[in-house]
Amino acid sequence: MDRMDDKSMEGSPLEGRERRLDALWAEYRQASPDPDPGPDFMPSLWQKIDKRRTGNARVFRRLAQVCVMATVALTLLMGAVLIPRIQAEAFFAGSYAEELAAEHINADYTDFLTTGDLR
Amino acid sequence: MLVDFELIERARSGDDGAFNQVVQAYRKRILGTIARLIGRPEDVEDVGQEVFLRLYFSLDQLRTAEVFEPWLYRLTVNAAYDYLRRQKRRPESRMSDLSEQQVMYADAAAGSKVRDEEERRTKIRELAQSLLGKVSEEDRLLLVMKEVEGRTLKELEQIYKVNENALKVRLFRARQRVLKALQAEENAAGSSDAARVFRKDPSES
Repeated sequence: MDRMDDKSMEGSPLEGRERRLDALWAEYRQASPDPDPGPDFMPSLWQKIDKRRTGNARVFRRLAQVCVMATVALTLLMGAVLIPRIQAEAFFAGSYAEELAAEHINADYTDFLTTGDLR
Repeated sequence: MLVDFELIERARSGDDGAFNQVVQAYRKRILGTIARLIGRPEDVEDVGQEVFLRLYFSLDQLRTAEVFEPWLYRLTVNAAYDYLRRQKRRPESRMSDLSEQQVMYADAAAGSKVRDEEERRTKIRELAQSLLGKVSEEDRLLLVMKEVEGRTLKELEQIYKVNENALKVRLFRARQRVLKALQAEENAAGSSDAARVFRKDPSES
């Protein structure tokens, strides 16, 4: 930036300060050029990417293992504890035919079936 | 855009070679923005790598290649913000905290070959960083993006996902705070010492 003339700072102190601040931003931009990346920038970046990628894969693998273990444990629990208990409390103990016969033991049509009398 | 949409689409679909090309195209520019945002040359590459790392793992969330640049700058601002927040919690040693002897050693290490122009630039950077250090991290990032990086309000709207009026208000307040800091700096250093920092030595012209 060219030398700033004191006359250009005339006006209110605030205006002068505003102008100096704008000039400072422009100077700061010029005084801080884009740096060249070092030779290790890309290799180091890919290392970090791989590290995180394998880290994520490990987390997912562990999560999958936990899910499988939990599923197996739940299945075993259901098989060993819950199913026998449910079967013990079963309302219908006999087969379908037995249950049906027991239900209609005094019904007329069973007489028909046994006697063959249609009347 | 420094790269074409097709390359971004390829990177988005998991092509590592395409991603590599995107990084190579943008890294210098992004490192420059980070350098001006955080003001610590020694940490610029680390923050830059964090930006591209985040980009790699979030590229699949990018809706279209057209919004790639605002997306990348958003990641840059966020990474710089996280860095500044972390730094705030750490004890730091700036030049002003060092003893006179340490400063002398630091100067000697920098070498007597450092030209006047470089000294002037260093002073400008120090003054800008000192002023930016007096406002919040959010204000600092917004001001640098607008005033130093020259991003338009429309671009900032896309980066911050905030409407233009809210940005204007935010920028105005941030600028007022910096102006107040500049006034304090000038009062402390003598009426126009701070202004003199960014004037060239008359002997140079």
